[in-house]
Amino acid sequence: MKMRSTFSMRMSWLSFLMLLTTSLTYAQSITIKGKVIDAKDNTPLPGVTIRVVGTTTGTSTVADGTYSISVPNATAQLEFSYIGYEPIVLTAGSNPTLNVQMKLSSKTLDDVVVVGYGTLKRKEITNAVSSIKAEDFNAGGARSPMDLVQGKVPGLSITRVNGNNPNASASVQMRGIATLSGAVAPLIVIDGVPGGNLDLLQQDDIASIDVLRDGSAAAIYGTRGTGGVILITTKKGRSGDPQYNFASYLQTDAVAKRPEILNADEFRKLSPANDMGGNTDVYNELINKQNVSQYYTLNASGGTDKSNYRGAVFFNRAEGIAKRNNRTQYGGRLNFNQVGLQGKLTMQANLVANFNKADLLGGSAGDFEQAVQRNPTAPIRNADGSFVETSAFNNFNPVARLEQELSERDQQTIQGDGKLSLEILKGLRVSAFGAIVKNTWNDRQYRLRNSNSSKQSYEGGGYAYKGNRMELDQTFETTIDYNTTINEDHTISAVGGYSYFYNTVEQFSANNSGFLTDAFQDWNLGNGLWRTLGRAGMSSNKVDYKLVAFFARANYSFRQKYFAQVIIRREGSSKFGENNKWANFPAASVGWAISEEDFLKGNRSINQLKLRVGYGVTGNSGFTSYNSLVLLGTGGAYLQNGSWYETFGPSRNPNPDLRWEKKGEWNVGVDFGLFNNRISGSFDVYQRDTKDLLGTFETQLPPFVTNTIYTNVGSIRNRGFEVVLSGVVVQKKDFGYTTDITFNRQRNEVLSLSNELYRVDRLTYGDLPSPGNLGPAIRVVEGGQMGNFYGKRFAGFDDAGNWLFYKKDGSKVLAGAITEDDLGVIGNGVPKMMFSWNNNLRYKNWDLTLFWRGKLGYDILNLKEMYFGNQTWIPNNVLKSAITKHAALKVPAQYSDYYLEPGGFVKLDNVALGYNFKFRGNYIRNMRVYVAGRNLVTITDYSGLDPELEDNGATTGIDGRGFYPRTRSYTLGLTLGF
Amino acid sequence: MKIMQKKYIIWGLAGLLTGAASCTNLDEKVYSEIPADNFYKNRTEVMAAVLRPFTHANAWAAPTGQVGYWRVSELSADQLAWPTKGRHGFDNGDWIRLHRHTWIANDNNTWNPWRLMYWGLGFCNNTIKDLSAIDFKTIGMTDEEKASIIAETKVLRAWHYLKLMDLYGNIPIVTEVGIPTSPPNAPRAEVWAFIEKELRENVDLLPKLQPSLVGRVTRAGGYAMLAELYLNAQVWAGTPKWDECVAACNKILDGSCGSLSGAAPALETDMMKPFATNNATSPENLFQIAYDYTVGNFRFGFQGDLWHYVQGEAYNSAFRGNNGIVVIPTAYDAFAANDLRRTNWLLIGELKKHPALRKTVADSLVMGTEEYNGKPLIFVKEIRKNSTGQTGEGTMMDGEENSGARFNKYQTDQQTNTAQYCNNDFVLYRLAEIYYNKAEALMRKNGNVATQEAVDLVNEVRKRAFSATDWVTASYTIPELTLDEFLAERGREFIFEGKRRADLIRFGKFTTATWWDHTPTAAKYNVFPIPYQQMVLNKNLKQNEGYDQ
Repeated sequence: MKMRSTFSMRMSWLSFLMLLTTSLTYAQSITIKGKVIDAKDNTPLPGVTIRVVGTTTGTSTVADGTYSISVPNATAQLEFSYIGYEPIVLTAGSNPTLNVQMKLSSKTLDDVVVVGYGTLKRKEITNAVSSIKAEDFNAGGARSPMDLVQGKVPGLSITRVNGNNPNASASVQMRGIATLSGAVAPLIVIDGVPGGNLDLLQQDDIASIDVLRDGSAAAIYGTRGTGGVILITTKKGRSGDPQYNFASYLQTDAVAKRPEILNADEFRKLSPANDMGGNTDVYNELINKQNVSQYYTLNASGGTDKSNYRGAVFFNRAEGIAKRNNRTQYGGRLNFNQVGLQGKLTMQANLVANFNKADLLGGSAGDFEQAVQRNPTAPIRNADGSFVETSAFNNFNPVARLEQELSERDQQTIQGDGKLSLEILKGLRVSAFGAIVKNTWNDRQYRLRNSNSSKQSYEGGGYAYKGNRMELDQTFETTIDYNTTINEDHTISAVGGYSYFYNTVEQFSANNSGFLTDAFQDWNLGNGLWRTLGRAGMSSNKVDYKLVAFFARANYSFRQKYFAQVIIRREGSSKFGENNKWANFPAASVGWAISEEDFLKGNRSINQLKLRVGYGVTGNSGFTSYNSLVLLGTGGAYLQNGSWYETFGPSRNPNPDLRWEKKGEWNVGVDFGLFNNRISGSFDVYQRDTKDLLGTFETQLPPFVTNTIYTNVGSIRNRGFEVVLSGVVVQKKDFGYTTDITFNRQRNEVLSLSNELYRVDRLTYGDLPSPGNLGPAIRVVEGGQMGNFYGKRFAGFDDAGNWLFYKKDGSKVLAGAITEDDLGVIGNGVPKMMFSWNNNLRYKNWDLTLFWRGKLGYDILNLKEMYFGNQTWIPNNVLKSAITKHAALKVPAQYSDYYLEPGGFVKLDNVALGYNFKFRGNYIRNMRVYVAGRNLVTITDYSGLDPELEDNGATTGIDGRGFYPRTRSYTLGLTLGF
Repeated sequence: MKIMQKKYIIWGLAGLLTGAASCTNLDEKVYSEIPADNFYKNRTEVMAAVLRPFTHANAWAAPTGQVGYWRVSELSADQLAWPTKGRHGFDNGDWIRLHRHTWIANDNNTWNPWRLMYWGLGFCNNTIKDLSAIDFKTIGMTDEEKASIIAETKVLRAWHYLKLMDLYGNIPIVTEVGIPTSPPNAPRAEVWAFIEKELRENVDLLPKLQPSLVGRVTRAGGYAMLAELYLNAQVWAGTPKWDECVAACNKILDGSCGSLSGAAPALETDMMKPFATNNATSPENLFQIAYDYTVGNFRFGFQGDLWHYVQGEAYNSAFRGNNGIVVIPTAYDAFAANDLRRTNWLLIGELKKHPALRKTVADSLVMGTEEYNGKPLIFVKEIRKNSTGQTGEGTMMDGEENSGARFNKYQTDQQTNTAQYCNNDFVLYRLAEIYYNKAEALMRKNGNVATQEAVDLVNEVRKRAFSATDWVTASYTIPELTLDEFLAERGREFIFEGKRRADLIRFGKFTTATWWDHTPTAAKYNVFPIPYQQMVLNKNLKQNEGYDQ
């Protein structure tokens, strides 16, 4: 027994040893097989690296995503890794089949947010940050990337002043106006390139748009952070089977509303003396009814676990609703990524280009002003084919202009950027990033000798112009970042770095006239006689500036319950005065995940609750270079010893103290998720005080040379709150309904406009156009709101049709008797509230989006009514309201609250209906067809064309005489993956 | 070994990645403008600075579209106005307030002349400061040239002070850039004395007027300024200086100040010549803003203020007008029907289209664009709504596009005549004014009664305004040339020349007389208020009597 047991023990010991040896040598104990697929679309992932943790054993998946690997035993750990996806570590287990679903890596996952110089998980965020992913973008053809998120981010006002004009951009403003003369728009950062050019983005290349709404997050961008920061991330390469994606749309615009003017017969009846015998609808002549915009893009991606790529090309022909108003562009984007040096050195490179050609002639506000006011009985052409030019003040024939003039832009924008990142120690990484963005264009213009402009201003000699502009941005940044977790409780991530940004703009232009023939157009510029007469124009200039910064950000979290973030950026700008070259921008914020506390953990109604508080300082250096220097400006030529030489004198007062605008912003917010996260959202309140406002202020004259100085005086306060609510209403297999609401309210108050040496009594905006020069419409004073309409108060008309206005004492008098004392605040053009309501419905393979958007609480000054709605505007044509609504008025317009109208609106801005085809074969992965409409319904009390007007910046709520037609857009689109 | 290699590579790369972070230089480089400390390297550059205030005076001394000395001096007086014309020209009521004397301290009309003139004065102070610091020998110029240039700039500065004092009375005297801050305003008499001292000290350092110095301040211009200063001394300094005025006039008359043509200045026999496109050579002119559209691309741009929108069609000129300033009916009536100045310098009636622009033979008249759209544009004396049958005198609110007689003193020639087109200089002082100044001083000295010498001086100028047959009755005699008649005659001769307000004040009429849509106002309006914009910034400024703030 003893022996036997000894023997058996030995035997078993030996066999164990043998087994072990065998297993070590041959590694054949268990074979695990399986398939790796994408967690989202279930497509197989080839080339996934599978490694047995702690060994050198490894393999990778083949084309159909399957793999086979031997593990020593069931407790072995298998690590699956794949570029672009979250790595997974799984225990082998006893089952020989192990199928794995891999999720796309953090950057495209909902819970990761791009915050500049890195990313954070949503739960670590302690500031007001919005993150919009590609699938949540507005559907339909976007003229600008900003269209994709219009209405999606609370507090972010995106306004297309020129409607759907393919050659106009949107104006963008975050949380109200915080500057008088500095840059208004947020800083745009594309893939880490600050000041990125939106032309370089096509909608199908964008993965996400993240917005840093408050200063405690934006402080990392220092002197450029005040307007908020929009971080745009493009789609990157992904390893695996090569894939193609194709997308296309066709879009057409149709006029939504046109001004109601008198037709020829009505005009004839009203003013027989001005009957020119014809019957013309000029508006109709300016519209391109057959407009079709087309867009095609194809991208390809693929690669291995060590390197991958994504390349995309596109072609886009955008036609506006107006004639001679279009843009043709094409280009591409190439992304390449590689990991080397034993996984320690990562490289990422992008090359992007956009070539476009735009016809800038048509679609001008001035043309459509003529469409309203041109005598409708005036024919377009005479019997001999020549154009009819009406003679009244400020008249021209816009149809003739479109035929007799030429104005084109040929533009190329390219960007190249690259990033090298090296892991020195575990968690410690140094990176270098460099980018170049070059934007160049050539403009050309020609006006025929016989054109109105040529005859009026160039003595009938035609006019030719050529101009070019080259802008170059160079960015270089190095960063060090470090991530570690101590004792599982303390998570620390930190980034620090250096940033260098250099911008140059070079311009050249020349014009000439006095041509004997139209044959050359602008292609023989020197040929005009005005050159020899010394009246041809020629100019060139160059401007540059530089920003240099050192920055750091540290995030700390304790047990994922308490979070803190500190930021410091020390930045200098060449634009600042000699005494103030450098500035510090600190920020701090904290978060408390209350739902992680014991008393809430496991609560079935409150799944998530987090409180955030932050304060941050940002700057605005968005003013032109050289403002702090005394430069000698030209003053016109004067006779000097028989010759005419230019004269020079100081062009401004020196300001060696010129510095940045400084904004301090408090933000308090709550994030929440309720009832199994079926209702989630956030609420933020903020107060922003911007001090040292940049502006041209009055100074003492004498003793200074000029009466103004560009300096820092005064302050503005913005206050408001923002709400985001998302609800999952129905979530079933075949039917789903989710809805999102954003809402914000804001107030902009001017606290101060003076200090001891400088002041400005009032700032005025919105000068009312000629004729009449009725003064500025908007006045801003200390203690007042931004955007206040300031003027006379309407009291009626007298029997003769004269204006009556209220004096201060309440008496009614004629316009001439009104003095400065009688004027007051009569309205405000800044919307107080913005909101949006998005609805996504899904039924089987169908999906439907209904997106409502609105702005409330502001007034509009209707200049069309003011000038065109007046019988004294004859001999020009007038609006029908001139003989109806304003029939009692017999004298020219006066600026008063008579022409103010309430401006609030609700728009059904986007409707999209899509169908997703399912394919069984291996060739087509997915296919979606959709129809979409934009700007479909507007609900408003406003009588004009569109209540959505420029509401960003200081000149707000004025509906001008000229305009770009407002349209509804209809899109038919296709996306295809194969 | 391998580990070492890996370390080298990693740390080496890390160093490379971070090492480039070195640039922190933030000095600005200027490409297309000139920083002040990099100028005055040669004669041309020095003169470019000296001449800067001259081109600036274009903005305030001449009717070129800004609210400057010219505009407030004419539109507040009894000859010119900018009435509304239909829907045009209300312009915030600015012109109505000028005409009716209801301006306040916070008014464009109050602020802009101050702003523009002190700005020009700042250029003078800056030039004097900069040039004083330069060793002229190092840039190839002599110390005599330096003295002459600085004297010219000082006289030019004194002229700025003279015009500022005329408008605002009590004003700050500042001779250096930026020093002192918050300067107090000096009493008008003190300003007057400062100007006299500056002119006296420097006027004889100036060169004589000669063809090569057209447009510059020479001895002729300097003495003309002195003549103006002394003529108005009673109003400005409280003490009459009639003898000094006569003496200053004599300096010019006797030829010791030079002339643009010949040894001594001389009156033109053709009344159009002092204002013609070639008036740079007129022997009558003493100081003018030099313009040359052909060569210098710098022109006297009066068209905006003074032409109807399409008036250029009459001259074959592409320049457009804003249909602004017109002659008021009472001023038009102040000319006798046979006064050739009314016929030549004012424009009334239909306007012939320039032959080069006529499409057909019938297309011979310039047509209206507003009330008279498509009908001939016929300028009328009245400022009222004739198109709707309005009668009576009309008011500042009643104009139409054809209301009021128009400006025709300066004529541009046609654009195809490139050698002459728009080459008129704007005359600031001409010999005729010296004649009138001397005549007035003689009358004042003589108990406000004309002397034969005074009558002769006025007649000599007036003669060219009448035909030989008319002159028999039009010439003045001692009893005819009363002070009132003298003021009216001065108005006729210098209409449009920016001098009317000062003349009315000197004759005590500015705030007491009635003309067209203007009734007498208060004595405080004899000076403009100190602009509100400066009152609030400079605690040491005291407001002129009678004005708020």
